Parts: sequence; C-alpha cells; structure tokens
Amino acid sequence: MEVEPLSNGNSATAAAPIAAAAAIAAAAAASPSSKLTQLTESLKLEHQFLRVPFEHYKKTIRANHRAAEKEISAAVAGVSEAADLSPDDAVQRLNSLVSRLQGLKRKLEEGSRMEHLQAQRCRARLDHLESADMDHLSEWNSTRLKRILVDYMLRMSYYDTAIKLVESSNIPDLVDIDVFNEAKKVIDALQNKEVAPALAWCADNKFRLKKSKSKFEFQLRLQEFIELVRAENNLRAITYARKYLAPWGATHMKELQRVMATLAFKSSTECATYKVLFEPKQWDYLVDQFKQEFCRLYGMTFEPLLNIYLQAGLSALKTPFCYEDDCTKEDPLSQESFRKLAQPLPYSKQHHSKLVCYITKELMDTENPPLVLPNGYVYSTKALEEMAKKNNGKITCPRTGLVCNYAEVVKAYIS
Amino acid sequence: MELNSIKDTFDRVTKKQKLSSSKSQEVIEQLGQEIEQAVSKLQFVPGAMSQPDHKLILTELKTKLNEIAPLSQLESTQKELNIALTKYPKLLEKSFNPDISKAYRNVDFDSHTVNQIIANHFYQEGLFDLGDCFVNEAKAIEATGMRIPFLEMYQILHAMKSRNLEPALKWAATNSDKLKHNGSDLELKLHRLQFVEVLQNRGRDEALDYARTYLSPFASDHMAEIQKLMACLLWAGRLDTSPYFEFLSPTHWEKLAKELNRQFCNIMGQSHQSPLSVTIAAGVQGLPTLLKLMNVMMGKKQEWQSMKQLPVPVDLDREFQFHSVFVCPVSRDQSSEENPPMLLSCGHVLCKQSITKLSKNNSTRPFKCPYCPLEVEVSKCRQLYF
Repeated sequence: MEVEPLSNGNSATAAAPIAAAAAIAAAAAASPSSKLTQLTESLKLEHQFLRVPFEHYKKTIRANHRAAEKEISAAVAGVSEAADLSPDDAVQRLNSLVSRLQGLKRKLEEGSRMEHLQAQRCRARLDHLESADMDHLSEWNSTRLKRILVDYMLRMSYYDTAIKLVESSNIPDLVDIDVFNEAKKVIDALQNKEVAPALAWCADNKFRLKKSKSKFEFQLRLQEFIELVRAENNLRAITYARKYLAPWGATHMKELQRVMATLAFKSSTECATYKVLFEPKQWDYLVDQFKQEFCRLYGMTFEPLLNIYLQAGLSALKTPFCYEDDCTKEDPLSQESFRKLAQPLPYSKQHHSKLVCYITKELMDTENPPLVLPNGYVYSTKALEEMAKKNNGKITCPRTGLVCNYAEVVKAYIS
Repeated sequence: MELNSIKDTFDRVTKKQKLSSSKSQEVIEQLGQEIEQAVSKLQFVPGAMSQPDHKLILTELKTKLNEIAPLSQLESTQKELNIALTKYPKLLEKSFNPDISKAYRNVDFDSHTVNQIIANHFYQEGLFDLGDCFVNEAKAIEATGMRIPFLEMYQILHAMKSRNLEPALKWAATNSDKLKHNGSDLELKLHRLQFVEVLQNRGRDEALDYARTYLSPFASDHMAEIQKLMACLLWAGRLDTSPYFEFLSPTHWEKLAKELNRQFCNIMGQSHQSPLSVTIAAGVQGLPTLLKLMNVMMGKKQEWQSMKQLPVPVDLDREFQFHSVFVCPVSRDQSSEENPPMLLSCGHVLCKQSITKLSKNNSTRPFKCPYCPLEVEVSKCRQLYF
C-alpha cells in the first residue's frame, strides 16, 4: 500500500477560511501530523506482538528457576541424609550430589542461553516497532500483512505454508512459530484422543491456570473418565474418579455428578443427556477449550488477527454502492468473496460528503470542484477541463453519451 | 506510547534476570565446593576413619550449608526479578490496546472464503509456490481459479524485465479492443518501445520494417507520436545524442510494466492491488476507531452485534474512497435511491427529503436556501448523479 504524505501546502490552502467546503478538504487532506497519529494508533494494536514472546521468556525463566530451586533443595536435603550413612555410603552420596549439581550448572547454562535468545527476540520486536516511520511505511505495512498471514496459518495449523512464508520474507524473529508448535503437540494429541500432553501442559502452567480459575484440567480428567467407562472399565473408572475427579468436587459438583452418572449407562446409550457425553465431538470441544486457555495465557487474541483486521476493514469500506453491478473493480467489495464476508457486517458511516470523480477517480473538493452537466451527471473540474481542451470545448458524458458545451456546465457547492 | 521507556523497562528485566542467573550459578558453585571439600576431608584417611570424625565433618558441612542458605540467597534476586517481570506486562497493557478482538463480531466468517481470498492474494503477488503450498495444506483446490491468468501476467512482466517484449506485444494484440475501451494506449507504447529496441539493436532498416508493419495502424490517431519515432531513424546508432535520447530512458520500461500490470488486472476484472492488502490496510486504519467505539458501548453487546450501520464515521485515507458518498448538510443523511441529492438553482446541494421539508410540502412556493440568501423553486431542483 503506497502511502504518500501530502505536502504541507495542500493542507495550508485547505485551512483557508473561504467556504464551508473547506470541511471536505480538511477531512480529505491528510496532513503529516495526522498521518503520524494514524501510525501511532496502528502501533497500539500490536500488544500481542510484544506480549507473546515475553510470556514465553517469562515461562522459561520461571521453569529454570524452579529446576534450580528443586535441585538445590535436594542437595541440601541429601547432605542431611548423608549424616546417617556409613562413611563409604556418605562419600558416595556426596559425590553423586556434586555431580548432580554440576549437571544442574550445565542445565542452567543451557537455560540461560535459551533465555538470552528469547530476550533477544523480545528486543527485536521492540526494534521493529521503532523502525515504523514515515519513510519506510509501505515496507513496514507489507511486513505487517505477512505477520498477520503467518499468524493465520499457524492458528489454522497450516505449518508448511507458515514456515515457507517466514523463510521467504525473512521474519523469523517477528513470528511465534515455536509457541504455536508447543500448542500443536497438545492439539494433535487431543485429536488422537490422548490427554497426556494436555495434562502435562496443565501441570507446567498450574499456577497461572489456577489464578484464572480454569477448569480445563478438570475437563480433561472427565474425558479420561468417560473413556474408561466407554471401555467398560468401571472399576478402574471409579478408582480414577476417586483420585482425580474428587478434588474438583467442591467447585464443580454438578458437572462431576453428571459425568459420574455415566457409570450407570453404556457408551451406546440412547439417553440424550448422557449420549452427548460419549460423542467424539467432546474431543473437539476440548481442543477449543485448550486453544482458549492457551491464547489467554500468552496474551493472544482468540480469533486470528487476519479475521479481526478483515472485519474492521470490510465494515469501514462497506457502502450500499459496493453491491451495485458497476462498482469499480478497485474496490475489494466488488469481489464476490469479499461481499460474502461483509454481508453480516454493518455499513460504514460518513458525516461529510466525499465525492469521487467518475472519470479520474480523484476526490472532488474545493480545489477540484464538481461540475454538473445539463443532464444532472457530475464530474470533476479537472476531468471536464481536460476533455474540453481536447475536443474544442465539447463535453461528452461518459455514462449517457450526452454532448454539450463546456460553457453549459454549472458548479455545485458541496459542504 | 513511549517506546524508549518500554525498552528501558525491558532492559531492566534482562538485567535482573542476568543477576538472578549469575547468582544461581554462584550459589551452586558454593554448594558444590563445600560438598567437595567435605568429600575430600572424608577421603583423607581412607578406611581408618572413625565414626565420630566423619559424623563431625558431615555435621560441619550441614551447618556450613545452613550458613550459606542457598535458597534465601536466590530469593532476594528472584524477588527483584519478579518485580521487573510484573512491571513490564503492566506497562505493555497500558501503552498498547490489550485486546483488539473486543470489536470482533461473532458472525460466521467462512474459512473457505477466507482461504480463497488468501490464495488469490498469493497468486496476485506472484508468490506461486507459496500459493500452491497453501492451497494444498488448506485443501482449497477451488481457490486456484486465478492462478493461470496471474501466472501469465507475471511471465509477461518477467520477460519485460529482460527486455523481451514479445509476450507483452502478443497479449496487447489479443486484447487490443479491451485496451482501447479502457482508453489505454498501451499497445502503442509497447510498439514504440519495441521500435526503439529494434533501432538500437538491429539497425535502421529493420526498424523501418517494424514501423511499417506495426506502427502504421496507429498513425491516424497518434500522428505526432509516430512522426517523432520516424525522426529517430535519422539518428540510428547514435540515438543517445539525438533530441530523442529520452526514448532510451529505462524509466519507460518500469512505467510500462506498471501500466501493463494495471490493465491486465482490469481486463481480468480484478483490482490492480491485492484486495486483501487493501482491506487489511483499511482495517488497520479503522480498527482503532472501532475499538474506541466499543469501549463506549461497553454494556451494549447485543446492539453492537446487530447494528446495520456503524454509528460513527471511520476516517480512512483518500485511497480507500471508492464511491461517492453524499451527505446532506441539513439532515446529515446519506443519499440513496429514495433520497437522491438535488441541485438547487443557487448551486448548493441538498437531499430530496430536506428540500421537501424546507419547502413545507408546498411544491409551488419558493423557499430560501439554507446556505445563501437566494430563493429557489422546488421544480427547478435537478437530481444529481455522482
């Protein structure tokens, strides 16, 4: 998208206090300062861009710290225990502690390296936002579109395309492929009716899930229970429930009771309330739940960025004229697919007239006022002057074919 | 939004993290050393170590470790790190819009349609491998409709980059009528460029032949242009010193490629710019306003979902204005078929309903224009077509 900052001269003449028509000119002309505001506003939409790598970074830091704490405590405890052992055993135990500590050192070094890379990525993104200035706007915008497309590809699981797009545009630091890969493992497993990776993910993020009062883990456990019932492993199911479902009873008793009741039925039951619990689409529901929790944890929007921007754009562009047959092909809403998407969205609203010349496609404002032919059709001064010059003062209306003299046109005053 | 302060806050995080990290390493080192020392003491007199001594060493070690208090050492740096880790996201939430999906409407956004749009976008941008990979992964075989025409266009443009005008000329000839209908003189421009090429590379005689075959059909409409080209023959081999050296400029090639791009897309019934790019660019400009609006309409989710028209204008740049929209200065209504814009004899324009109201339903008496002292008659008002 080529953005050409209009010269100061333009807006200066627009500010001249001549006619009420100054209103359209002011609205149409984008002075450099308003373009800057526009740019700043658009940068404010990039919360996800900065938040996701930071959350990832934070998670790595916390995980490394927990590992360090655990090992150190174990070492200290090991020393205490060694006091009760025989001398040789004690030496052996202490030696093993030393090697464990050395192992921890190496692990932490590796972890530190990982943290450094992630911190670099966070910084690279900050730098990228800073690089958005008026001189490089069109390239920056084109990169933004690529980022939005990569986000879409990753969410829809089109990984090959995402990787290809990232490589060809050289934006590895600006996208979150590794974060989505983490989600992919869990999603793939859930789609294969396995809950293990999902449960591991819940364990990894236990603290934050608890803080947001998430019941995702509970739902995973419920599903495992139902699978045991489906396989008619009722005794195992009951043991499982005692261990994993009971703790959730305090907060989710009703749901727990409903699922426990499946014990009384078989998976082929026709009873509606319980039949639905056995359906395979419960797994799809789990996948959706996971995606929601995941996005919330990382500060991502639940909908793809592409959809969000598309909706906003379509609504901003939508006018009743877009649906007419002679809608200009330059308007995205002249395309069937865009029309379809825009159908349930609200129309845009204008407070001031904005008139576009049919011939030149330029705005008709005080500098290029609209002129009216005897048949009521309107064209810009520039277009008609040019036409008259080339044709001995004669004007031909391109839409109706009417021929008249340039002298016959009347100026229209639009405010 | 102060990017510098955000950067500083982040730098603080990394600084604290490095401190915490080095502290951890330090503590682990200390622990390891103490234990190793104890081990070497224990092993100093192998075998003949009596119980009390070894127990003493171990107790000493335990006390030493308690003194070092590794976990509490880590605690203080970790606490500072935690503070920084909490401050940064809070700053982000303050400086940026934390949830841009607030204004999203939960309508059916058919993914097949979206995929088709994306595939077309890739093909229009000339990214054929990427487009194919996408169509494959998204299983959107029906989205390849645009591939062949765009491929043709890129092949023509690619040839032009290596100064080969053959494909372009062939295409222009096939679409000659449509180009004329669009008011484009692309065909002539291509032949002109080719003529200069032939003159430069193959000499005067061939150029003359070329002109006779291909330029003469344009003679009637573009005589002045043809005359200039013919005059070039006089400077064959030294065109750069002639008054027509400008014809050799490489900018002609770039401009012509752009125009061919435009015309090709137009004849194909497409916009010259990827509609996806245009819509996303419009979305980027419009989303801040929509989010602000959503903030104001916080409790009215139902109204938001079901509204037929946005209640506030979304200001977009000039390039997004594809249609004329007339807003009556009196009623602030947008004109439509039932309520068209009318030109008053004084030159001002109002919508039909406003005129009816101002003339107080009396179509014979003249009424005063709200914007100037002139009196106008209803019957003299003419409908305008923008």
